Amino acid sequence: MKTNKFLCELSETLELEEIELNVNTNLKDLEEYDSLSVLSIIAMIDEQLGKRLSGNDFNSITTIKSLMELIGMDSFE
Amino acid sequence: MNNPFTLENKNILITGASSGIGRQCAISCSKMGANIILIARNKERIRETLYQLEKGDHLYYSLDITKYDELEPIIKDVVSKLGKISGFIHSAGIEMTIPLKMLKSQQLEDVFSINVISAFNIARVVSKKKYVGDNASFIFISSVMAILGQPGKIGYCSSKGALMSGVKAMALEFVVKKIRVNSILPGMVKSEMSNKLLNTISEEARNDIASMHPLGIGNVADVANACIYLLSDASRWVTGTNLIVDGGYSAR
Repeated sequence: MKTNKFLCELSETLELEEIELNVNTNLKDLEEYDSLSVLSIIAMIDEQLGKRLSGNDFNSITTIKSLMELIGMDSFE
Repeated sequence: MNNPFTLENKNILITGASSGIGRQCAISCSKMGANIILIARNKERIRETLYQLEKGDHLYYSLDITKYDELEPIIKDVVSKLGKISGFIHSAGIEMTIPLKMLKSQQLEDVFSINVISAFNIARVVSKKKYVGDNASFIFISSVMAILGQPGKIGYCSSKGALMSGVKAMALEFVVKKIRVNSILPGMVKSEMSNKLLNTISEEARNDIASMHPLGIGNVADVANACIYLLSDASRWVTGTNLIVDGGYSAR
């Protein structure tokens, strides 16, 4: 998946209307980021990339880049 | 004087708006000042509802709500024309009286599809930030049959029960979005659906049913008035609840 598409999907999932995401955005700093949004992101990644992450995986995540690395950079162009 | 039960400036979407409880909800809510978005399959019958509404910026769409993917374009259209949605009443639903022995899986899927899954689909779409207004209120019309049993009603009772449980989880999930979620459990009211049912049984059985309601058989307006309360700011502290409106039927 192209990085831009992934950023779009994340934006949709978190229902961010005004905020522009980039790979260095720290997810945990976002107001919209809570335990429910973690579940939504897990569902989106499963649906779009076929990878099943768990809530625990998210403990170590900071930036979107760190999320992409967790999924595996070979999933992205 | 500020009327806490007013629905002025609210855009309310109603499924099953072509008859029965849904139609009366549309009429009653329009009388309280709401703009109504009518959803049902039959265009003629929706228009009959439309003609009975109080003046307002009303819209109507002919839609089979089990065609889940067809909903979002409609919601988008509504929001572009009226602004964000203040709430909805899911009144679309089917009755089913079949002994389990004869009840096929497909029929169970059908009753759940209309009564439950399409309801949650509507909630899923309408609750999106871009479509939902502040302090919105979602209402699912369940039935007192969700908490009482009756032979032949496994499909119907369980589908209405599903709405009740779903309401509690949904209410908690939507607190952050400031959306309240409740259901109404009507007893038997005079409507096209109940008329059809009552015509299949004997006069004696009909009288029995009436006498089992301490306050008699209800009217669709009794349910619609409960909806007005739950949609209005008067119920701002009410969420995750199932309001029984049944003439005392379940108290016995």
